[in-house]
Amino acid sequence: MSGWMGGSELAALRALLDRHVVGHDEAKAALLLGLVCREHVYLEGPPGSAKTRMAEIAARGSELDFFFYQMHRDTRLAELVGDVVLERRPLAASPGDPEPRGERIHQKIEPGGLLLAQVCVLDDISRAPGEALNVLLRILNERKFGDAPIPLLSAIATSNPMRDEYYNEPLDPANMDRFGIQLSVGSLVGSSEPELARSLLDRFVDGEVEEQPVLEPVCDRGLFDRLFARLGKVPVPEPVRQALLQFLHVLVRDYDCNETNALLTDRSFLVKSVKLLRGSALMAGREAVEAGDLDVLRWMTTFRVPAEVHAQVPEILERVKEKYR
Amino acid sequence: MEATAVADALESAIVGQAQARLGLLLALVAREHVYLEGPPGCGKSLLAETLARAATAKPVFVQFHRDTRSAELLGESVLLARPAAGGQRLSRELLPGALLEAEVAVLDDLSRAPGEAIGVLLPILGERRTAGLALPLETAIATAAPRGAESYGDPLEPTQLDRFAIQVRLSGAVSSDRAEEARQILERAVRTRAAEAAAAGSGLPLSAAERRALQARAAALELPASIRSALLRLAARLREASPEGEALITDRGFGIQAPRILRAHALLRGADRVAEPDLAAVGVMLACRVPESVRAALPELIDESISAPDSAQGAVPGEGADRVSGEGGAGVTTPGASVAADRIDAPIERVASRSPDTDLTSAEVAPLLEAIEGRLERGSAERGDDPGGTPRRYRRMRRLEEVFDADPIEAVQFVDGELPGMPHSYARERPSRGGTLAVLRDVSASMEGRLSRWAGEVVDGIVRTAARRRMRIGYCEFNHHAERFTADGRFFHRRYRKLRSLARSRRSEGRTNYEAPLRLALDEFRRGVGDNRHVVLLTDGVPVLGDPVVSRERREARRLGVRIHTVFLGLGECPQVLDQLSRETDGVRFRGVPAAGGRLRVQARVERSADR
Repeated sequence: MSGWMGGSELAALRALLDRHVVGHDEAKAALLLGLVCREHVYLEGPPGSAKTRMAEIAARGSELDFFFYQMHRDTRLAELVGDVVLERRPLAASPGDPEPRGERIHQKIEPGGLLLAQVCVLDDISRAPGEALNVLLRILNERKFGDAPIPLLSAIATSNPMRDEYYNEPLDPANMDRFGIQLSVGSLVGSSEPELARSLLDRFVDGEVEEQPVLEPVCDRGLFDRLFARLGKVPVPEPVRQALLQFLHVLVRDYDCNETNALLTDRSFLVKSVKLLRGSALMAGREAVEAGDLDVLRWMTTFRVPAEVHAQVPEILERVKEKYR
Repeated sequence: MEATAVADALESAIVGQAQARLGLLLALVAREHVYLEGPPGCGKSLLAETLARAATAKPVFVQFHRDTRSAELLGESVLLARPAAGGQRLSRELLPGALLEAEVAVLDDLSRAPGEAIGVLLPILGERRTAGLALPLETAIATAAPRGAESYGDPLEPTQLDRFAIQVRLSGAVSSDRAEEARQILERAVRTRAAEAAAAGSGLPLSAAERRALQARAAALELPASIRSALLRLAARLREASPEGEALITDRGFGIQAPRILRAHALLRGADRVAEPDLAAVGVMLACRVPESVRAALPELIDESISAPDSAQGAVPGEGADRVSGEGGAGVTTPGASVAADRIDAPIERVASRSPDTDLTSAEVAPLLEAIEGRLERGSAERGDDPGGTPRRYRRMRRLEEVFDADPIEAVQFVDGELPGMPHSYARERPSRGGTLAVLRDVSASMEGRLSRWAGEVVDGIVRTAARRRMRIGYCEFNHHAERFTADGRFFHRRYRKLRSLARSRRSEGRTNYEAPLRLALDEFRRGVGDNRHVVLLTDGVPVLGDPVVSRERREARRLGVRIHTVFLGLGECPQVLDQLSRETDGVRFRGVPAAGGRLRVQARVERSADR
């Protein structure tokens, strides 16, 4: 994905991320793509791999209202969206009851937290009881609470790898599908690039990277509004459309992805994918989608197809791109 | 015709899904309810919302979720205080909510609703009245994820689904590899701007008066006797073609709902009376009423029902059906019937996953699995409340923070000090997804041949049963010493596939020792957390090494709350210690006994002495 952010307005934000977080190029790009396309991002990785830090830096660096919530085993919706209040009002008169003596008691939610944020981090989402997530994820999907729209651009959920932790439960498929972009993040220590871990160590020891950085905004919050306004107009040329369809066809026909083992939903792969392709083009500073933008699809398949198929997605994409070049 | 406007609106909103679109139109005209089932992201909600917007002035949209309260469906409760002799009288009344005033209701994600909400909802749908009040509701459209998919609500039962005359199952274009449809959806996604998407379907192509006129015309269409007879024969054929107990062919469905749907179909066709082609409309009723294979055979079943010898006019439905089945037997495709023969004894999933190298029918293991599953169930019931769980019922509030879950009116009275005692609040429980199970399998020298195969079969079945509940499982083989099989260094894990391959192990050597494997399992349990703990001990022999009565382990199992289920495969007398183990820890006791054809049959062990 060379050329990303070259000359685009996002370069400053990316530089800010690079200044405070070592490595994780892919996750940084995916986060920014999520903000540009207004898609939610799911990051899975071991503790301490800068997942939350990246999200917070991206938000603060662009003056977006940020909300962080640590999910836990007993998480309830009310903790995320504000306070539950009981409202009582004297009952209004009605034709049958000209002088009512009584009151109307109504349970409602005073908006807070998630409902007012533009970027939110839902930390350790797998710790929350699966059932509790339904409502939350519905809010994320519709970007509405009740009838009121919410200002949220992107929710970033983080999770530890799905091992056999005692309280972890895998997200159920419908919930997983709400996160357009999904990727796993590794730790630098023990990665195939030991020099990154070394660099992290050096920069911390030398004080170049602070643990709690004071962040100055590097762009204004209007940036994402401007980008989003342009997003829908970015042309998607015919060969790219064909390549996308061919890619999906190959997954189903040659790699046996079906409704039981994969989550190849129409909504994600025919509608959201178009947004991501366009976002990828915008981030590269281009005015039209190109075959190279199809690489973003590998951030969609991470947890939507079986792991062994996902491992082959880059290869499949190469073949498809070759065919429709 | 006015209905075409609605059809156009649906077609412009969604690509493909013709059956669902037809079903929705028919529902609107026939004033019936619709149940749309399909995977995420295939357009269920979009279709439902489009119909509601396109066809009515009074829609309501209910998004079901785990915490949907009956109050959200019915309306708000109000507390009325009226002066009465010597004080005031408090009473509670209902301010009717949107659902009670709507003509078309979209019930999104109904499968996520808690049982309580469904209990309130279904009578409303069925009777179209509540608390003596007639409702304007014409059509409710429910959407749901496929049953069996991981969902956290209480699954709807078939009998509940019967309220939904029209039932259609949808699938995604991508995952079903429908290339042309996928192409069109993509084209639309590229074209459609967010603003246009919001505007789509906001018009009202069909006025309320036009809608009512359509409904009245449909209801007045002639339904000739020949079609009535054919419909009843079709109902009978559908029932015959389905395996015993798997068809939901009710009087309501075929006596009341189907005629309305046929009339609506005739009207939409532009016909002035119901005729044979309208029988095809029964197809939109079948998603959850008959197995898929039977639904696929519908055209043939309709042909048979139409062409049946004319016993029809005025015949008793039962007679007609008998005759058809008597004469139509040969050469008729009834895929369901052949399935039925296989299924009589063994549930399909057990048949499907039977390993090829076994000479046992899995049905023989079934009683054991069912008994163990029953205990797993019991374990989960004991698990009790969980603040993050699903609301199940009301009980008295126990902790102050539960006030958020309390009945609002009682909560207010409580705060005012007017409530004697505590308000009622939801009891939340979690379905058991968890728990731990250790499988201890005897591989001593005597466990060879069919005993070993059979033990493998039992292990395999147990793993599958436990996997459905997402239990963590530990697997240990023992003879004179116990060997633990770990994944990532853990004894208890969820690598079900790996566990099932271990079940195929065929080794048999050494002598039997009960103490070692129980010791090992209990040590693991002691280190871990959580309740719902089980051990299944599979053995064929008496312990010749270690403590033969495992007194320390029995004590420890009781202390740790571990249930020990014992399965004795030997032919001799079952060691008393196995009975003791199970009895003391509330486990199940089974033994394998020889059966015809060199097979083994599993049956509950009965107490030999009355010394309980």
